[in-house]
Amino acid sequence: MQLFVEQLINGWALGSLYALFGIGFGLVFSTLGILNAAHGTYASWAAIAGYYAVERFGVPFPVAIAAGVIGGGLLAVVVDQIGFQPLRAKKTGMLGALITSIAFWIILDSLAGFATGQQSLAFPAASYPNQMVVMGPLRVPQMQIITIVALLVCTIGIHLLIQKTRIGAAMRAVGWNEVAAALGGVNARMVILLTAFLAGATSGLAGVLGGISTSNVSFTLGEGLMLKGFAAVVVGGYDDVRGTAIAGICLGIIEVFVAQYISTSFRDGFTYMLLLAFLIARPRGLFGSASFVRA
Amino acid sequence: MSKASAAARTLRGVLAGAAALAIGYAGTAAAAPAAGEYGVGFITENTGPLAAAGVSYHRGAQLAVDEINEGAWIGQGVKLKLNEKESGSDAARAVQALTQFSADRNVIAVTCCILSPVAAALKPVTTNAKLPLVIYGATLPGLPQPPYVTSVVGLPGPQEVKMSKMLAETLKPKTVAYFVNADNEGFQNRFKAAQKVMEEAGVKTAGVVSILSADTDFTAPATQAMATNPDLIMVWTTQTPAAGIIAALRARGYAGKISASDVISPAPVFKKIGAALAGVPFPIVFSSEISSSPEAKKFVEGYTKKFGEAPDTYSAQGYTSLYLIAQAMKSLDGKPSREDLAAALGKASAVEYNIYGGLPMVNGQAEVQNSLVAAWTADGKVVRWENK
Repeated sequence: MQLFVEQLINGWALGSLYALFGIGFGLVFSTLGILNAAHGTYASWAAIAGYYAVERFGVPFPVAIAAGVIGGGLLAVVVDQIGFQPLRAKKTGMLGALITSIAFWIILDSLAGFATGQQSLAFPAASYPNQMVVMGPLRVPQMQIITIVALLVCTIGIHLLIQKTRIGAAMRAVGWNEVAAALGGVNARMVILLTAFLAGATSGLAGVLGGISTSNVSFTLGEGLMLKGFAAVVVGGYDDVRGTAIAGICLGIIEVFVAQYISTSFRDGFTYMLLLAFLIARPRGLFGSASFVRA
Repeated sequence: MSKASAAARTLRGVLAGAAALAIGYAGTAAAAPAAGEYGVGFITENTGPLAAAGVSYHRGAQLAVDEINEGAWIGQGVKLKLNEKESGSDAARAVQALTQFSADRNVIAVTCCILSPVAAALKPVTTNAKLPLVIYGATLPGLPQPPYVTSVVGLPGPQEVKMSKMLAETLKPKTVAYFVNADNEGFQNRFKAAQKVMEEAGVKTAGVVSILSADTDFTAPATQAMATNPDLIMVWTTQTPAAGIIAALRARGYAGKISASDVISPAPVFKKIGAALAGVPFPIVFSSEISSSPEAKKFVEGYTKKFGEAPDTYSAQGYTSLYLIAQAMKSLDGKPSREDLAAALGKASAVEYNIYGGLPMVNGQAEVQNSLVAAWTADGKVVRWENK
């Protein structure tokens, strides 16, 4: 039983990383209509930014997290303005943006490789909370608790932002129809910039937390999150962060339990079978709107 | 004895000596390849998932070429030139690079590959192109196919067996849990070799935890292994997972014994994981801090001078691959063809200049005989492992 609960927490923490990443990925898709293949690199670069903030400047843990989050957000804005804004102006549609994002993915991945000297780096153990929290017979790493709490805070915060604020209403309006939103008085350009930043920052948070807790800061970090994050968005529903959060957690738990009780070889197969089943049975995911369609 | 006969004998002696010198000179001249620059294709893996090791292999080869050329190791005026093409550990890109080398008649041999599937993909291409290929990193048995495919990489097995026997005898564990790559045949073979030794010594298998090469989160696998309550955990995985697994085990509070393979030997791994690696034994055929032959010391000195850091086991393999090619070149006469070089590589019974204290070749495959069991200290030095 102790093993079951410990693995449940391991899966929950792992799934929280997928969900955090997926929230950013889903925001870009639902608001900006971009299936952004470069999104994983935001997580990689956020982890690299956090790592070098610690390594070069010896900043404390919260500042390292902030460096990663802001770095991820700014990178997303830069990519959007250089790569996607010209396409948006020419109304080239999703395919042009997808191809552009693949180009950015390859470029940013290569640069990330050079930034890390092609090595897999790790945050120094003393630079983050690395103790175990003892809860009766259970021992839970502090970073797992931080990751789980980070997901809860982000999910609730972004859900409230989108559903309960004027900015959120503007984001939903731009996601529905950018021209109509602009005619209605929404500053679409500003909403796009804000959405890009928020998406990059959320995925950046996943990257820097993942980089710390897995002792892996490298250009491969984002690639691992990308597929699982995408699965979380599809299963959870593109336009509802609550669905992405729940689906991400479920994916993490399923992964860990399949590896523990069945076989590691079947782990990814199960994950993608679930994705396929959802795509067939419920294309809009757990919480997605029935009417949600991107042009 | 008359003066005349003595003079005649002296003359005969002088003539015989002159003839011997002439024959000796002719013999040397006949064994020296024609002066000129010969291209060696090097398929690099300086990007991609194995780039950290790839850079080391490449640097080792660069140093070897410098030494060979500066010392006229093959012969006066005979130089090697390293031509690099990047594969990123991708089989398709590696095949493309090999095809390009094949079309370049200045390239007389090619050396490549960390991953066994990549080396296997190149094997038929290089054989059809009749272009000698020396493998510097891949470890799957059966890859060499003389004369066109040879390997300077000692197969896994003997060193793992040696270390496992040592651990069984010194630690006397009752149970062992194993980590193994589910998607890497080479590491599965290492794991099986170690498990066989342990079970023959009466040590039970507490559990086998499979991971995948691309995995990065090892908290759950660490929990799984610790739940089997083993006396020893043996980690038979590729580098990034091995480092991550050991870090996760220690972070979760596992204080028991852990062993690993030589993947944890490079300095960047210690820099990344730190003191969690201290005391974890691993088998190794070369260590810049332990290997003591004159060739090894010269290699360490030259590498450190050129690259500003000590070489690792991968740079040693890249270095050796170039010396094997140079050795085969040295045995050839005139302007060597690719076929001649392949034949010479296929006939090599040992890599004569090596840093391992002996490196026999059997059917195109190097066999490392002298392995060490080493461990990191808490302050980042590699020493011979002792049970503490």
